Amino acid sequence: MKHYEVEILDGKTREKLCFLDKVEPHATIAEIKNLFTKSHPQWYPARQSLRLDPKGKSLKDEDVLQKLPVGTTATLYFRDLGAQISWVTVFLTEYAGPLFIYLLFYFRVPFIYGHKYDFTSSRHTVVHLACICHSFHYVKRLLETIFVHRFSHGTMPLRNIFKNCTYYWGFAAWMAYYINHPLYTPPTHGAQQVKLALAIFVICQLGNFSIHMALRNLRPAGSKARKIPFPTKNPFTWLFLLVSCPNYTYEVGSWIGFTIMTQCLPVALFSLVGFIQMTIWAKGKHRSYLKEFHNYPPLRSPIVPFLL
Amino acid sequence: MVRASLAKGSYHSLYYSIEKPLKFFQTGALLEILHCAVGIVPSSVVLTTFQVMSRVFLIWAVTHSVKEVQSEDCVLLFVIAWTVTEIIRYSFYTFSLLNHLPYLIKWARYTLFIVLYPMGVSGELLTIYAALPFVRQAGLYSISLPNKYNFSFDYYTFLILVMISYIPLFPQLYFHMMHQRRKVLSHTEEHKKFE
Repeated sequence: MKHYEVEILDGKTREKLCFLDKVEPHATIAEIKNLFTKSHPQWYPARQSLRLDPKGKSLKDEDVLQKLPVGTTATLYFRDLGAQISWVTVFLTEYAGPLFIYLLFYFRVPFIYGHKYDFTSSRHTVVHLACICHSFHYVKRLLETIFVHRFSHGTMPLRNIFKNCTYYWGFAAWMAYYINHPLYTPPTHGAQQVKLALAIFVICQLGNFSIHMALRNLRPAGSKARKIPFPTKNPFTWLFLLVSCPNYTYEVGSWIGFTIMTQCLPVALFSLVGFIQMTIWAKGKHRSYLKEFHNYPPLRSPIVPFLL
Repeated sequence: MVRASLAKGSYHSLYYSIEKPLKFFQTGALLEILHCAVGIVPSSVVLTTFQVMSRVFLIWAVTHSVKEVQSEDCVLLFVIAWTVTEIIRYSFYTFSLLNHLPYLIKWARYTLFIVLYPMGVSGELLTIYAALPFVRQAGLYSISLPNKYNFSFDYYTFLILVMISYIPLFPQLYFHMMHQRRKVLSHTEEHKKFE
């Protein structure tokens, strides 16, 4: 068996960082990254980007050395992606925050509202309902992170956790402040409005969960396979006929429901910002699907049927 | 400006004479953000946005909105700083486009800011500070609970937060200009050496 030699150069300075000899031809990029870490322990595999061309795309961990367009001496270029943190850690932190923070406002913990309101309870039913819905939503997200989602990437840049947590925790505090305020005004159309909002919220939560399960089932455990999602027997998944990312569609729907339920402007703003971000993600995902699969269903739009 | 102050004997009615052109041209500067975003000007979109938004905010959200502040000296301070800066800056752009940039203009653009920038910032901060009591009194641009949208906004607190934001933002802009100065003026020195 012929062995390969791999030299790793810095992508910017072209400095020789590492030379590996006697590398198996069927070695994967992941294995090469592990070997590289041995000589440079501060660059753990997750923060390595190895490429054939310094300005080109990163090679995937699953790529096999002998299948790459290289001679028996392969030259790879290295780029440091910066400190990394796992997706799971980021999700758990950014979702646990709102769950906890909302409850601080709900129970009217001291120093938020005036002292005479400490540990008092709202007399409006909708406020209690809103707390249940908000808490349910984030508990669902936490459980999905642990048991349902199958992530393509293990990690993301460390600075994302600060950005994401500021967003989620900040908005949660801002919304919770008004909903649980002693001077909160219940919705104009009373119980009718709340019932309608609750229906929208519950349907969208079920829908969102159904899509997450359908996406999970597309991909066996430990694999990073990518396939076109299709509707299943579950009616909530039939939205796949019209939309590439129905999970985002249902998510926006849930927050619209919550907005109608609480009739609170900060909630409306949170829904709007979330919608804008999810539309950007959905368009990107839709474009990737179109590029990767030539038989992609033409009727589908990224996030809103026929419109967006 | 000079004519107005000589005619009225004081600069207290200065604002009224310059109000319309000031509003028109400073608001027109919003186009500069567009030019950076589209790419026809190489400056940073973020820095230009900060710069233009702070001017537009001062003109509309503070000076225009709080009439009592219009005769204050601090308004004069930032108006002069902005005016001198703009005269130099636009001359710089014009001469650059004509490919005949006198060194004096380049020097002025990258040197006078050292005095003009703090002068402008002081004028701006003093004006916002002067506006505070009137904002509090009139409840300007503020909404309080209870209301059917379950939302509140206190413009007074917002203005204080704006003033505080100058602390991290101003040094960044100032040192960016210092850095540019070193880059541009030393580059010219080297060119001169080779002549």
